Amino acid sequence: MNPPAPTSRHRLLRLSSVVALLVMILGAIIMVYPYAYMVGSSLKTRKEFAGDKRSLIPARYQISEHAKHRRGEPSALDWEGADWPLLKNYRDALLYGHVDVFLLNSLLYAVVLTTVQLSINVLAAYAFARMNFRGKNVLFSILLATMMLPPAVLLIPRFIVIRELGLVDSFLGVVLPGFAGAFGVFLLRQFFLNIPSTLEDAARLDGCGTFGVLRHVILPLSKPVLITLGLFTFIAAWNSFIWPLVVLSDQTYYPLTVGLSLFREESGADWPRIFAASVMGSLPLIALFLVAQRYIIGGISLSGLKGQ
Amino acid sequence: MGQRTAPERTQPVAYLYIAPAFLLVIVFTLVSMGLSFYVSLHSWDPIRGHGQFVGASNYVRALVGENSVFWLALRNTAMYVAMSVVGVLITSLPLAMLCRKARYGQSLFRTLYFLPSITPMVVLSLVWLWLFDAWGKPLSSPRTALLAIAMLGVWQAAGYNMLLFLAGLSEIPQAFYDAARVDGASRWQEFRYVTIPLLRNTIIFVTVMVVIGAFQVFTQAYIMTRGGPERSTEVVALQVFKNAFSYAGQMGYASAMAWLLFAVLFVVIMIQMRVFRSQRTYDE
Repeated sequence: MNPPAPTSRHRLLRLSSVVALLVMILGAIIMVYPYAYMVGSSLKTRKEFAGDKRSLIPARYQISEHAKHRRGEPSALDWEGADWPLLKNYRDALLYGHVDVFLLNSLLYAVVLTTVQLSINVLAAYAFARMNFRGKNVLFSILLATMMLPPAVLLIPRFIVIRELGLVDSFLGVVLPGFAGAFGVFLLRQFFLNIPSTLEDAARLDGCGTFGVLRHVILPLSKPVLITLGLFTFIAAWNSFIWPLVVLSDQTYYPLTVGLSLFREESGADWPRIFAASVMGSLPLIALFLVAQRYIIGGISLSGLKGQ
Repeated sequence: MGQRTAPERTQPVAYLYIAPAFLLVIVFTLVSMGLSFYVSLHSWDPIRGHGQFVGASNYVRALVGENSVFWLALRNTAMYVAMSVVGVLITSLPLAMLCRKARYGQSLFRTLYFLPSITPMVVLSLVWLWLFDAWGKPLSSPRTALLAIAMLGVWQAAGYNMLLFLAGLSEIPQAFYDAARVDGASRWQEFRYVTIPLLRNTIIFVTVMVVIGAFQVFTQAYIMTRGGPERSTEVVALQVFKNAFSYAGQMGYASAMAWLLFAVLFVVIMIQMRVFRSQRTYDE
């Protein structure tokens, strides 16, 4: 029954926490390395990228190449494009690669999808949580059942409907099927159910109607869950790929993800420029994440959402 | 649900509130599923005016057709699913436990490990295409290509699932570990008889979500390999996509394959649920 002497136990604990820290640092390097590779490659000239696919730093900035150059030996600084400006690939991607349009499209899709989906879900969740009506349980079950259908199965059916509505190659065609999100209704309903009804009663005494209660009582109290859900919807919309790929063939409507896959198909693709576009496509979400980390990480345990 | 103001009064206005959501669900889920089933029973593309009713022959063609790649694609998909589940479980749970142990940098680790979850899979696929090319070229060998694609999937999902496990671990009361220690349990016994059983719900959730996601794997294969080399990364979603949108006149066949994929996924999830339900827990 005697526990081991505290000192040895403590030493063991300290040792294991150091080992844990080291493993976590190693893991963090594995997580971050591809990002460093992406940024490094986006700064290279095509020749530099073709010549050395492993290095993180463009040859023209490597100390060893500069040393060679000073010794008068042939070095990367003699290559064509040694005076390539640091961010030229970014500039070119925006000017000649339509990346500015792609980024704007991605933003537009994500903002519209998030706003409309959230509004539709709030209305439905409010009815399911706080109102009585015939068929409520059946209707809610139907909604939940549709949640189970995987997107890969819905791909062709949704394409057929969008095509018959004449919405192929249009802004609306990209966002419309995403407006319905049963998961959001489910999550919001759970949250709304926990709001005390005394608050609702007080608002009603003050003359609030059904919509007034939603606006002045439910919504202000639900800010955190709305922000979390909104962020997850936005992230998923920004990252979505297969649906816009299917529904669009006109480049002017491409979001960044589809635009990038188009670049990849070009023969003799300009990879450093593709990496520059990739960095620009990843940064907005990373920035958003850093600002709103609290809501995203806090929301993960209640979400089954994934950026696909 | 006992806290509603007037439980017996019905409010017809509620239908107005649920109307937008239901209209969309009806059109883009129920009607479209019906249409897709209708298409799957036809050759070519019946809604566009050509093609005739062929009964179940698209299904037959996928299942036993001479040139059918369905089974090959399904086998590849199943292998991808298995590698993903194992990969995610053996990385994210240990990482979560280590993260709790590490004295410093916990929140930094959470942030860094989460980055791949908020980066478009298209971008990750493009970057890893060249990382794989620079280090060992696993994508050019039919023996390793699928494994490489699965590794990318696991790398991408590890941080997200680590956070799920962190949430699960934080809910295990310290008293269980104290009790195990008093009983003289070893570290392994603590893990086996306290951590694992009490994380049961998280493990189930992670497993089911990874299975659902992995069955639909598409982007990595589309961007990195297009199904090659030697069809080693030909997965079902890619086959569906190719037949529906790249090859002419295969919409019915593609729809049939999508329905078969759904059937397989449905059965797998039902089996999972049954297996998980039959296991005992401490709180029962």
